[in-house]
Amino acid sequence: MSTRRLQKELLELKNEGAPAGIQLLKGDDFQSWILSIEVLGESLYKGDKFALEFRFDSQYPIAPPSVTFVVNEQFQAPEHPHVYSNGHICASILANEWSPVLTVSAVCITLQSMLASCKRKERPPDNDRYVARAPADPRRTRWAFHDDDV
Amino acid sequence: MASEQLWSQVAEKWQTSFNRLNRNEPGITGLLTFSEAWVLARDFLRPRDIDEPSPKSTVNRQQLRAAFDNLAQRRMLTALLEEFLEDMRWQLPHITKDIEGLMKQYEATSDPIFIAGCISRLVLWHKAWAPFPELGPTVVNAFTNTFQTHVFSVLPRSFSHGFKSLVSATLNPEYATEPPVWITTLFPQSGPPPDRWDKPLWQAFEQLGMTERYESLIASVCYEHVEAHMIETYSKVWDRECLSEARDWMSQHILPWLLMPYAPNAKTVEEAAPFISGIGTRLDYHVCKTLADLRTREIFDIIVDFPDSRPALDDLKKCILRVDHRSTLVKTLRKENAHRLLHPGADTKMILQQYVSIIKCLRIIDPQGVLLFKVADPIRRYLRERPDTIRCVVASLVADHESGDSLVDENDTVQPLQQAQVDDYSDLNWEPEPQDAGPDFRTNKPSDIISTLVSIYDSQDLFIKELQVLLAQRLLAIKDGNFDRERRNIEVLKIRFGEAQLQVCEVMLRDMTDSRRTDQHIQSQKNNDTTQLHPTIISRHFWPSLQTNTFTMPGQFKTIQDAYQKEFKTFKPDKKLVWMSHLGTISLDIELDDRTVSADVPPLEAAIIELFSQKDIWTIDELIETIGSIERPAAVKALGTWIELGVIKEEDANTFRLLQVADAAASSKTTQRPQAMAVEDEVPIVTAQQQQAEQMKVFWKFIEGMLRNLGSLPVDRIQQMLKFAPGYDRSVEQLGQFMEAAKREGLVSVKDGMWKLS
Amino acid sequence: MKVKVKNWHAIAQWRWDTGTSSDTHDADDEGDVCGICRVPYEGCCPSCKMPGDDCPLIWGECTHIFHMHCLLKWIGTAASKQQCPMDRRPWVTAERKINN
Repeated sequence: MSTRRLQKELLELKNEGAPAGIQLLKGDDFQSWILSIEVLGESLYKGDKFALEFRFDSQYPIAPPSVTFVVNEQFQAPEHPHVYSNGHICASILANEWSPVLTVSAVCITLQSMLASCKRKERPPDNDRYVARAPADPRRTRWAFHDDDV
Repeated sequence: MASEQLWSQVAEKWQTSFNRLNRNEPGITGLLTFSEAWVLARDFLRPRDIDEPSPKSTVNRQQLRAAFDNLAQRRMLTALLEEFLEDMRWQLPHITKDIEGLMKQYEATSDPIFIAGCISRLVLWHKAWAPFPELGPTVVNAFTNTFQTHVFSVLPRSFSHGFKSLVSATLNPEYATEPPVWITTLFPQSGPPPDRWDKPLWQAFEQLGMTERYESLIASVCYEHVEAHMIETYSKVWDRECLSEARDWMSQHILPWLLMPYAPNAKTVEEAAPFISGIGTRLDYHVCKTLADLRTREIFDIIVDFPDSRPALDDLKKCILRVDHRSTLVKTLRKENAHRLLHPGADTKMILQQYVSIIKCLRIIDPQGVLLFKVADPIRRYLRERPDTIRCVVASLVADHESGDSLVDENDTVQPLQQAQVDDYSDLNWEPEPQDAGPDFRTNKPSDIISTLVSIYDSQDLFIKELQVLLAQRLLAIKDGNFDRERRNIEVLKIRFGEAQLQVCEVMLRDMTDSRRTDQHIQSQKNNDTTQLHPTIISRHFWPSLQTNTFTMPGQFKTIQDAYQKEFKTFKPDKKLVWMSHLGTISLDIELDDRTVSADVPPLEAAIIELFSQKDIWTIDELIETIGSIERPAAVKALGTWIELGVIKEEDANTFRLLQVADAAASSKTTQRPQAMAVEDEVPIVTAQQQQAEQMKVFWKFIEGMLRNLGSLPVDRIQQMLKFAPGYDRSVEQLGQFMEAAKREGLVSVKDGMWKLS
Repeated sequence: MKVKVKNWHAIAQWRWDTGTSSDTHDADDEGDVCGICRVPYEGCCPSCKMPGDDCPLIWGECTHIFHMHCLLKWIGTAASKQQCPMDRRPWVTAERKINN
């Protein structure tokens, strides 16, 4: 089921291009994609480039993809109150507010605006504790969402 | 004065010789008998001029024997021999004169009779001078050597040529019934006539040592004769097995002849066997080679003639087993194909048919498929370039076997398309590849014809797409709701291609069933307006792109459509119908004042004539405006139909009038338009290949712009940049092919892998 | 003059009556797609092989339309909270009135 849908999303990304500031870096299978994300215009992250890794299982899009910031020699996780240093993201659309009509593009745009609207570069308060005990798949985390979440 | 020593030496020698010659006989009797014997022997042996009357005394053989014994005892035979040979040398000029005379005549006339004459004279000389065989092999051999050496040194160069034609004459079948006159005059025989007329001649050759010396000439005469016979008899004879015939002919006509030079003394064939086995094998090889060459030259036409020419192929197969001819065959066939088959004038269907024949023929000759592999490659590459190859193959996949469309036999069992076969090492019948197999040989060996054809393309997708298009065309043309044949075809194709690939076709067939059911239901509602309309209702995403441009049907047609739509909605509340007005056929009667015209026409033409039922005179522009969404050429064509049927007529430019009454002038053209014509209008489906071609035109604009702005680019760069173009989904190989095509058109040129605009 | 129709073999496409732009006789564009599987309505959902009655649509009172199978898959999960994927309103299947 996920294959067909991902095929269509991929085709659309290639034919119509990704949204502004977003680029497909790796999309050669239907398990894991990587897209780069830049925040355009004036923002705290002006000039920075980050990378998002999407992992899909066979239940996509009924089940949400796992979305994390890539952390390696090339990329860092942005400093943001909802982004942990291991790349995990606390965002409601990735968890309890996921809907099957959302797409990879839509998620990227949402995260883009989450970064754009950030007022202060800082890590989540419980960053170290979370990172020490976090599961590999962020979908297994029981997120608690605050009012100012996206 | 000589010394004492010398005197005594000489005396000693004299005494030894004397003793030897005298042999202890009393007094000098020994010497005397020796002297007689010497004279007798020498005289006997002395070579004489045969043209002079011979004073030869009758010599008693016994006497002669005794004389030679005498000489032998005294060890004087060697001396005798030397004397004899010396005498011979003095006489040789006679022979030379003879030969020169005859050879001059030959050179003037080229008549082999003079050669025969030469031989005959030489025989006489030989006979006259030859010593008795009892004198021992030393003497005889010495004589023979000297004689032959001289003769051969004196014979001019033209002799070989003449000898050859003489030998050829012995093979002349006319002589077998009526021998030439000279054979008896030049070679008189005593005793019963020989079983072959030329036997005396061969005996002469043997005697003179010519058989051995000119063996290769004799052999070449034989080869040439065999070759000429075969070419004359077996050219273009393909309906029977010629090899065995040729071999029979060989044993009947050539074998007896062969016995002459090679086994002249054998009395039975068994005795002869060891002598002729060598030449026999070589000749058999030559037969096979000649036939192989002949059939190879004819191979293209043999394949065209298949299966009538089957025996010729069996022959060729046997010959190739003996003669290693495979690479010649491959080269020849490739060249013929390139020249006579793979050119723009040849129909794709014809090329495919010939390809199938080539497959069958080469499989007969070489079941392992190596030859086929080498020959097929250029054909396949060429077919890949043709735009309608897929359509032809697909059409044959689903063809009626009677209609002649089919490229394969009914009897070929239907199997799943075979993938490349990997070596199975557990197969007990595994054999190594033939020596001349190419590197890809094993990986590329589908065995049945259809699989071979489909494998011309790397993926089956193109076939499937084309299949869908073909099926769609056929289904939409069906008016009587009977699509059993198509269903059967799809079942067969499911076996070949697999169910998953043909899912789309399943949906198409299901649409047909559903249409019928729907229509039955709606008709049973007995709505008067709908009784004539019987639509085929399709699921749009599962049928190939149908060309768009639908217009609204006017008048009663609209009424009918709307009524049907209403019934449909009642039947299926969630759904509605979108009419494709440019497709389909309407069968109608036009009732005019004095006649009724029947026609089966596409909806556009029906629409137009419907408008004429509202008003008698229309201009083209009015028609186009009323109907809407139609192109001018289409309207013109539609009007043309009605003009031809004598229903309307063009009055002034672009103005048309309805002919309520038949117009005499126009009626000369009235014929009932045959039903077949409407049906032949194929549903204008945009085929997959056409679509691709259209798309590439768009991309060409990109490429052109790129090259204009950036100068020259390698194909990888072009590919990279094209990926940004919307809808671009070609591989770099496909792009490469496209660029090659553009180069052929003269639009671009390439150097060192860099492309630029011409 | 009278044109008498004896037989008309026509070709038509069936479409779902979504009350939207497919009213225009545009055989060209893809048509609207199901938001969940991104396949056009007249195609079938990823779990089906045949479109049409075997893979019908489902209309919501919120006016959103999906392939029935796609929506039911979603509604069947706890995470869906029985909400429409488009607007997150509680899903209520609309009653189909027959349009005349």
